[in-house]
Amino acid sequence: MSSPFVFRPTASPQEAANWSRRQILATDLRAVVGRAYPRVTGLFREKSWVFFEIALPFLATSAFVFVYRAVQAPPEYIGFVVLGGAMTAFWLNVIWMMAQQLWWEKSQGNLELYFAAPMNIMSVLFGMAFGGFVMSSARAVVVLVVASTVYGVAFAVDQWLLLIGVFFLTLAALYGLGMVLASLFLMWGREAWHLTQFLVEPVYFVSGLNFPIARLGIVGSLAIALLPLAVGLDAMRQLAFADAAYPLGTPSPEIEALILVAMTVVFLVLARWALRILERLARQEGRLSIRWQ
Amino acid sequence: MTGIDAPIDPGLGSPAWGGFDNSRTRGRGAADIRRSFSTAARLGWQMEANWTDPVLFFIYSVAKPLASALILVVMLDVISGGAKPEYRAFVVIGSALWALVIAGIAGLAWSVLEDRERYRMLKYIYVSPSDFLVVLLGRGVARVAVGAMGALITLAVGVLALGVPFDPGVVNWPLLIVVMAIGLTSIVAVGVFMAAVCIQSRQEAWSYPEATAGALFLISGAVFPIAVLPAPLQVVGLLTPFTWWIEGVRQALFAGGLSSIGGDGSLFASVTGHAVPSATELIVALLATGTVATLGSIVAFRASDRRAKDRGLLDQTTGS
Repeated sequence: MSSPFVFRPTASPQEAANWSRRQILATDLRAVVGRAYPRVTGLFREKSWVFFEIALPFLATSAFVFVYRAVQAPPEYIGFVVLGGAMTAFWLNVIWMMAQQLWWEKSQGNLELYFAAPMNIMSVLFGMAFGGFVMSSARAVVVLVVASTVYGVAFAVDQWLLLIGVFFLTLAALYGLGMVLASLFLMWGREAWHLTQFLVEPVYFVSGLNFPIARLGIVGSLAIALLPLAVGLDAMRQLAFADAAYPLGTPSPEIEALILVAMTVVFLVLARWALRILERLARQEGRLSIRWQ
Repeated sequence: MTGIDAPIDPGLGSPAWGGFDNSRTRGRGAADIRRSFSTAARLGWQMEANWTDPVLFFIYSVAKPLASALILVVMLDVISGGAKPEYRAFVVIGSALWALVIAGIAGLAWSVLEDRERYRMLKYIYVSPSDFLVVLLGRGVARVAVGAMGALITLAVGVLALGVPFDPGVVNWPLLIVVMAIGLTSIVAVGVFMAAVCIQSRQEAWSYPEATAGALFLISGAVFPIAVLPAPLQVVGLLTPFTWWIEGVRQALFAGGLSSIGGDGSLFASVTGHAVPSATELIVALLATGTVATLGSIVAFRASDRRAKDRGLLDQTTGS
C-alpha cells in the first residue's frame, strides 16, 4: 500500500486539498505519535526526572503510611495509601501536563502552529495523554511495587479482570477530564496556574485519597458522581482489598465502572465541543497568538 | 523633541567635573541590593496576585493547605474516631507549617522556570546590574507571603473549627520569634538549592520543588512523631532544620503537647536521656542545621550558576 504522504500531482489546488479519509486518519495518527514522542523520549533524556519524579514521590507516599502506623491503623489502610500514592501520579500528570498544556503552548508560541497544521487538534490532546500516561505509569508502578514490598501490603483481589478494567476506565476518564480542562484553562488564561494548584490537595481530599471516601458523606457522594479519581479509587479500593473491613456506603465496583464509562464518554464529547468553541472564539477575537495572558 | 534631544536624567549624566565615575560600574553596594530585592519582591507579588480576583486568589491560596490538613484530620478520625485530640492539633500545626515550606521552596525554583521557560526573561535579568540571587530571593518573597497566609488561615480553622486548643496567654513568644526567624531562613535556603537544581533541569522541573518537599515531609516530623521511623531515617530527620523548626513552633504555641522529635522509643530520647528537647537545644540545633543548609545552598547555587553559564542553560527553553 502506498504512503498517503507521497506527493501526487493533482489537476487543481481544490483537488489537492480534498483529502481522502485515509490521508486524514494517517495524518491524525502521525500527530498523536508526534505529540507523544517528546514525553516518552524525555523520560530517557532527563536523568534527574528519575530521582525527582519517582524516588521522591515514593517518600511522600511513605509519610502517609507512617501517619497510619503512628495511630496503629489496620494494615489495609496502609494499602489505601499506597494505592492512592500510585494514582496521584496520573492525576498530577492530568492537571500539570494536560489541563495546563494548551495554555502553556500558547505562552510558548506553539498553539498557533497546532491550529495551522492540517490535523485534528484532538490528535494533539490524545498524543499528550498517551505520552503523559507512559510518563506517569513509571512513577505509579514504582510507588505501587516498592511501597507494597517495603510496607508489606497484602492485596486481596477476587475480580482481576474488573480491577484492570476499572483501572483503565479511570485513566480514560481522567485524561478525558484533562482534555476538557485543557480547553477551559486556555480560556481562563493566567488563572490556569492557580487552578492547577487548586486542583491538587483539595481534589485529593474530596476524592478520599488515603481514606475510605464514604467517610466524607455527601461530599464523597458528589465526588463519586463528578471526579474520576474519586470513583476510580473507590472502585479499585473495593476490588484490591476485597476482604478489608472499613466504612463502605459507596456503590459497588460494577456500578462505579459504569459511572467511569459514562464519565469517559461525556468528557471526550465535552472536550471536542469545548475545543471547537474555543478555536472559533480564539480566531474571532485573535487570541490564538497572544502570550502570557 | 526626539529621544536624543530629551534631557538626561541627572543620575545618568556625566559627573560635574566631566570625567567618568568609576564607582558606577561598582554599584552602590547595599543600596543596590535593597533596591533589587524590593523591586523583585514587588514584581513577584504583582505576577502572583494583583491581576486576579482577590476572593478567588484567597480561595486558591487557602484551599491547598486547608485540604492537606483535612486529609490528615480525616485519616486520624477514621482510625481513632476522634479519640486522640492531641494528635489532631499535632497534624493541623504540622500541615499548616508545611504550607509555608512548600511555598518557600517552590517560590524560588518556579521563579527560575517562569523567567526562563515561560517569559523567557532570565537571560535579561541575568545580565542586568542586579545580583541574580538577590532578584531570585525577592521573587520568592511573594510566594512565601502567600504560603504564610495559607498557614495562618489553616491554623485559624484548626483552632476555630477543628478543636485545636490554643491559648495566646501561654504562647512562648520569644521562642516563637527566634525559631520562626531561623526556620524561614532555612526554608529560603532550601528554596535557593532547588532553584540551583532547576537551572540545570528542563521544563518538567515544575514538580521538583514539591517532590522535594514531599520527601522532607517524611523525615521532618510534620504530621507524625519521627520516633515511628527507623533509626537511620530519624538521624536524617534530626539533621534537617525543618524538624527542629516545626518542633520549636509546636513547643512555643502548644507547650506540653505531643513532641515530634522526642517521646518513647525516639532516637533523641535514647541519646540525650530526656524525652523532649529544651528550648535551648531546639534553638542551637535549628541554628546549626540551618547554617549548614544555608551555606550549602549558596555553594550549590554558585556552582549551578557557573555551570549554567558554561553550558548556555540560562536561555535554553525546553518543551514536552
